[in-house]
Amino acid sequence: MVILDLVRAVRTLSVGQTADVAATRNDLPSVRRWCEHTGNTLVGAKFDRAGRGRVLIRRGRTPDPRLALGPDRIPGARLWLYTNFHCNLRCDYCCVASSPRAPRRELGAERISRLVAEAADWGASQVFLTGGEPFLLPDIDRIVRDCTSRLPTVLLTNGMLFRGRGLSALYAMPRDHFALQISLDSATPQLHDAHRGRGSWARAVSGIELALAAGFRVRVAATITESRPDTIAALHAFLDGLGIPREDQIIRPVAKQGAAASGIRLTRESLVPEITVTVDGVYWHPVAATDERLLVRREIEPLRPALDQIYGLFADQWAHTRSAVALFPCA
Amino acid sequence: MIEPLVVGAVAYTPNVVPIWEGMREHFAESDAPMDFVLFSNYGRQVDALLAGHVDVAWNTNLAYVRTVLRTGGTCRALAMRDTDTTFSTVFVAQAGSGMTGPASLKGKRLALGSADSAQAAILPLHYLRAADVDDADLELIRFDTDIGKHGDTGRSELDAIDAVLSGDADAAAIGSNTWESIGREELMPGALEEVWQTEQYCHCMFTALDALPEDRWRPWVTRLLEMDWARAEDRRILELEGLRRWVPPQLDGYRGLFEAVEEQGIAATW
Repeated sequence: MVILDLVRAVRTLSVGQTADVAATRNDLPSVRRWCEHTGNTLVGAKFDRAGRGRVLIRRGRTPDPRLALGPDRIPGARLWLYTNFHCNLRCDYCCVASSPRAPRRELGAERISRLVAEAADWGASQVFLTGGEPFLLPDIDRIVRDCTSRLPTVLLTNGMLFRGRGLSALYAMPRDHFALQISLDSATPQLHDAHRGRGSWARAVSGIELALAAGFRVRVAATITESRPDTIAALHAFLDGLGIPREDQIIRPVAKQGAAASGIRLTRESLVPEITVTVDGVYWHPVAATDERLLVRREIEPLRPALDQIYGLFADQWAHTRSAVALFPCA
Repeated sequence: MIEPLVVGAVAYTPNVVPIWEGMREHFAESDAPMDFVLFSNYGRQVDALLAGHVDVAWNTNLAYVRTVLRTGGTCRALAMRDTDTTFSTVFVAQAGSGMTGPASLKGKRLALGSADSAQAAILPLHYLRAADVDDADLELIRFDTDIGKHGDTGRSELDAIDAVLSGDADAAAIGSNTWESIGREELMPGALEEVWQTEQYCHCMFTALDALPEDRWRPWVTRLLEMDWARAEDRRILELEGLRRWVPPQLDGYRGLFEAVEEQGIAATW
C-alpha cells in the first residue's frame, strides 16, 4: 500500500528533505492526492516498462522562491555586467583570471546602456558592474551614469586607481542609487597582499577612505581562502572602524574558477542564478563567467530570451532540486 | 545574563532536531532564552525532569500522567498545542467489513500499537471498556514496535494497519493524527473504513515541577503563547511542530488516561 509507505518514509524527514519510495505507475494518482492532502511535494517519478519504479517525495511544499531568497535575489533581479576583463592586479584566486595581460574583452558603453535598458524593462532591479578592473576604462563614469539613470548600480573595484583620470571619473559618478564595492580581504596587509600583490592592501584601504570621504556608499567584499573566525572577526572590527555598516561587509569564499587552483566547486545545479553578461555570452552566475559549463546563451542581444531562459531553468530547478541550490555571495 | 530554561524533548525521529533548534533560536533574543536536551525515550525524560536535569519536559499525555503520579501531583502543566486538545482514537477495518460502533468489535482481532501509546493501545482499551467491550471480548494483537516513544513515531500504528490490510487483524486502533496522515477514507477508497471514533482527549503537555520558580517558567510560557501564526518566522516553527498556536493547559482532557492507567495497572515507569 503506497500511502503507508509514503507516511513511513516522510515522517522522519525534515522539511525540505526528500525520500524515494517504491511505487508503480498505477500508484501515481494516489501519490499525488496524498501529497496534496498532506502538504508534501511529489518531486519526480521513474518507472520501468512494467510500470514498476520509485517516486521521489519532498517533505513540505516548495516554498515561494521570492520568500525564500528575498525579492532582491530572485533570478533576474540582479544583472551582472563584465565591463572588461583586464586588470591592474593578478589575484591568484580571481574567478575570471583577470590580469594586466588578459585580453580587454570590453562590453562597451553603448551596449551596456542597451542591456541595462532591456533588463530594466524585463524587471531587473539592480545592476552590478564588474571586471577586470572597471576603472581601467576611460568612460567608466559615463557607463555608471547611464546605468544609474535606469537602475540602482553597484560598481566592483579594487579601489586602487582613484588618482588622475580614475579620480576624476570617480568624482563624476553619482552618489544616489550607486555604491562602490571595494575588495579587501583582511584587517592587515599580510593576507590581502599575499593573494593580490604587495602594497595592494594599503592602496585599497586608502581607496575606501577616499570614496567614503567623497560621499559614496562603500561596500567592502572579502574573498576568504580559509574560514578562520579570528581573521574574519578582525576584518569586521577593522571595517566597523572605517565606518562600513555590517550589511555592507560581504564575506565570500574562493570558488574554484578562473585562476583559483582550489576552492568551492560550483555547478549550475548548485547555484541560484544571477544573470551575467560578458562579451562572450550570457552566463548563469558571475562567479563562473568564463566557465563554458555555465554559459547559457552565446547571443547577448537581445537579452530578453536569455532572461526568460534562465528564469525558466531556475523555476524548474527550484521545483525539483531546491535542497541543493544555494546562493553564492559575490555581492 | 539570563540562565536559559532547559527543555527536554524526545528525539523520536531525526526531524525533531530542527524543531527545537528553531525554538531555541526563537527564544534567544527574548527575556526567556531556552536550550534543549533530547532523550531517546520518555522514561528517561521524566527521570531527568524529576532529577532536576531539565526544567521543563515536552511530555506525551502518558509521560505527563506519569509525572503527576510520580510527583504526587507536585508538578505544573504549562502549555500545549491547539492540536493536542482534539486527539482521539479511530478504529479502522477493511472497507466493506460491515463493522460499525464499538459493539461490532466484539469477538474480533484488534491490532494495537505500542503498549505505551496512549492513542493506539491504552486509551482504545479504556474507551472500549467504557462502551461495554472488555479485553476478554477481543483477540488483541500488539505491535510493540516503538516502545519508549509512546507511539510518537506512528510506526506501530502503521504496522497495525498493515495487519488489517493483510487480513491478519479485523480492526486496528490508531490515533486520529495517523488516520488523517493516510488521508482517512478518501485516499484509500475500498481499502479502509472507520468503525468507531472515541471522544476527544488531550495529548502532549509542557510539564515542570512545582519547585521550578515562577520567574523561571512564566516569561517563557508567556512568550510561547504569544507565538503568532500570522508572523512568518513564528509560523515556520509552529508548522514544524504541527500546530497553529500554543494554548494554556486543558487538564480535563487527561481524565480518561488517568483512569486508564489505574484500571490497566500501568507502571509508573516504562
